[in-house]
Amino acid sequence: MATTKTHHLKHWDTLHNNGPFKLKKLYITELEGDGIIPKKIDRYNDAVVEIQRLIKETFNANQGFRAYGSAWSLNHIAHHKDCMHYNGFMNIHMPIQPENLHSDTTFKAENLFLFQCGTTIKRISEVLSSHGKSLKTSGASNGQTIAGCISTGVHGSAFQVGSVQDYVVGLHLITGPNIEDNVYIEPESKAGLNDAFAQSISKKIIRDDAMFYAALVGLGSFGFIHGVVIEAEPRFLLNRYVRKIDKNVALQLADTLDFKNSPFKIPEETTPDGFGKTPYHYKVFINQYSDEPEYVVELMYKNAYKNDYKDPFPIIKQSLYMDLIHLFTKMAENWPKSIPWLIKRLEKSILPKVDEDLTGTLPEIFWDAPYQGGAFACSVGIDYTDSSKALKLLCDLTTKEGPIPGIFAMRFVKQTKATLGFTKFPVTCMLEIDGVLWKKTRKIMSFEAYCTRIIEVLKQNNIKFTQHWGKGSNWAYNGLVNYMYGNDTVNNWKAQRKKLLSPEMLHFFANDFLYETKLAADEPVIHPINPQNEDLIT
Amino acid sequence: MKNSIKIFTLIIISLLLSSCYSVRLRSINGAYQPDPLLSRDDYYRGMEVVELDTVIKIDVVSKDFTYLIKETEACKSGKLHTVEFKNTFGGSLLSVFSFGKKRKLKVKYVCMKPTN
Ligand SMILES: Cc1cc2nc3c(=O)[nH]c(=O)nc-3n(C[C@H](O)[C@H](O)[C@H](O)COP(=O)(O)OP(=O)(O)OC[C@H]3O[C@@H](n4cnc5c(N)ncnc54)[C@H](O)[C@@H]3O)c2cc1C
Repeated sequence: MATTKTHHLKHWDTLHNNGPFKLKKLYITELEGDGIIPKKIDRYNDAVVEIQRLIKETFNANQGFRAYGSAWSLNHIAHHKDCMHYNGFMNIHMPIQPENLHSDTTFKAENLFLFQCGTTIKRISEVLSSHGKSLKTSGASNGQTIAGCISTGVHGSAFQVGSVQDYVVGLHLITGPNIEDNVYIEPESKAGLNDAFAQSISKKIIRDDAMFYAALVGLGSFGFIHGVVIEAEPRFLLNRYVRKIDKNVALQLADTLDFKNSPFKIPEETTPDGFGKTPYHYKVFINQYSDEPEYVVELMYKNAYKNDYKDPFPIIKQSLYMDLIHLFTKMAENWPKSIPWLIKRLEKSILPKVDEDLTGTLPEIFWDAPYQGGAFACSVGIDYTDSSKALKLLCDLTTKEGPIPGIFAMRFVKQTKATLGFTKFPVTCMLEIDGVLWKKTRKIMSFEAYCTRIIEVLKQNNIKFTQHWGKGSNWAYNGLVNYMYGNDTVNNWKAQRKKLLSPEMLHFFANDFLYETKLAADEPVIHPINPQNEDLIT
Repeated sequence: MKNSIKIFTLIIISLLLSSCYSVRLRSINGAYQPDPLLSRDDYYRGMEVVELDTVIKIDVVSKDFTYLIKETEACKSGKLHTVEFKNTFGGSLLSVFSFGKKRKLKVKYVCMKPTN
């Protein structure tokens, strides 16, 4: 029998210290050993019994509940003031067999795998590699859990592929304390698994596009995601190039993604008739405090897998020394004017090294990201054709009203079908600023004020945008979510949630983030423990 | 006289600093055993760390020492993910004055996360 340890805590925090937030109980569930329950599917189903027991116990105590993964989201989306459940020890996987496939499916069984919610991207890649397979895309690192990734919409910069949720085939959700609150959901238009398999892990099968795409980026509030069926693809190699190129050329590429006709070419990556090939990945790094005429860009080209390639690890970026970051933060708070100078000095450590080409698999290139202290990230999604315009607006904001201790980057992601996926444009440019958390002083505005200004500036300039659900924003900004997605989309998402969950469970699986964003009906909002720190995300 | 004291102090400080260093070995593959309580704020935040800070005795004939990693609550898999060895000035002194018989063992290690 799976067992749960309960920790009575006063507060909880994210990995990167974006809290702390109040908490009562932290549950940590571990599965029964394979000596006692040898079959994976039995251990998987045994975990459902334990999670439903916890849901019942929590509900009977009149408290709410939220599952979370690696706490990598840089805001309070994973937080619940009552009870939180850590999923990291729930990492069973099961390859799907041909006899599990739906009769109408276009998927190949060899590409489908069921992963339990707490399996990290790193572990998934290891499992897939051992089958000669790979994820289609991931974020820039590998520590997130699969349930955490899809719940916020994690993306890389694979602009012909999409985000993590875009290769999900089916979702296994626990929606309440009763035996029948155990559902497997797939889109009707793209069924993957047959009823027999779905019945072996759940009590109810829903094949419905609207429900599936709403639950896909569910912000942790469509119940407990117990398992995720994903589609992998044959393992591949990426040739990675980092170059410094003229700003205007880099931005033209961002606005058009036309690599064929660009004056910038990587000689090794051109077609026989001399045109540039379209890369798998394009990322632009922007130091908004620098007047240099060039930007650093990163491009990756996809190739078939072969065994004999040079070990990429000596080049994979080493992390910045932590003490330097602390020093940086202190200096930034006290002497904001030093930020541009500091960022220039740190540029070499923050940005990938120019002209160091490498080849590696997806998990080798997007490898571990060691903890580097309190961090913030804000990330807006815009139509890629607005890339350079939005970049200019946000760089101006950051330099003129800042300076803010972070630097910008742009990544590009294919459109998602998820109802509340922030990669909603045909190709979305994710324009992001990452940096160190700072405290508001007389000389430097608070993090919250900065987030509010981002929203205001984009709105004033009529740039349509979304925001990464797992990153910083003024999430309580009036009408923000409806502005980003439109009333119909938001209402559809809410309606699907209502259809899936009982009225009690709608509240049970909601949290302050959902109430603040008005995605759940109004409830009192609980603020972090330390409200005088205006820079903390509330 | 004053100058020689300064120089001596400087030499001692640089000796202290240079004899204090850490070496970390980290597996490229595998995930670390997580610490869901996020109890640390250093490089190891989010990892379940076991710290050893002890003195080991090495007799005259043996030249090495093997420390065995067992399965425990803090090391559920019994397999290593990261090992950090720290050499301190105090440790070096102890080894010199005990003619190598006593060695300070200051090690942090993190185990692999068990897979289901
Ligand atoms: C170093 C670093 C690098 C990053 N790089 C990227 C990047 O390249 N691209 C990008 O898009 N983002 C990136 N992010 C953001 C991060 O990947 C996302 O916020 C992601 O959602 C975190 O995953 P997690 O497993 O930590 O989930 P958490 O942050 O723990 O949770 C995220 C959401 O998932 C929900 N959830 C988790 N498990 C379940 C479950 N079983 N059932 C129901 N709900 C659940 C939680 O309630 C919460 O709402 C990065 C963050 C960090 C710290």
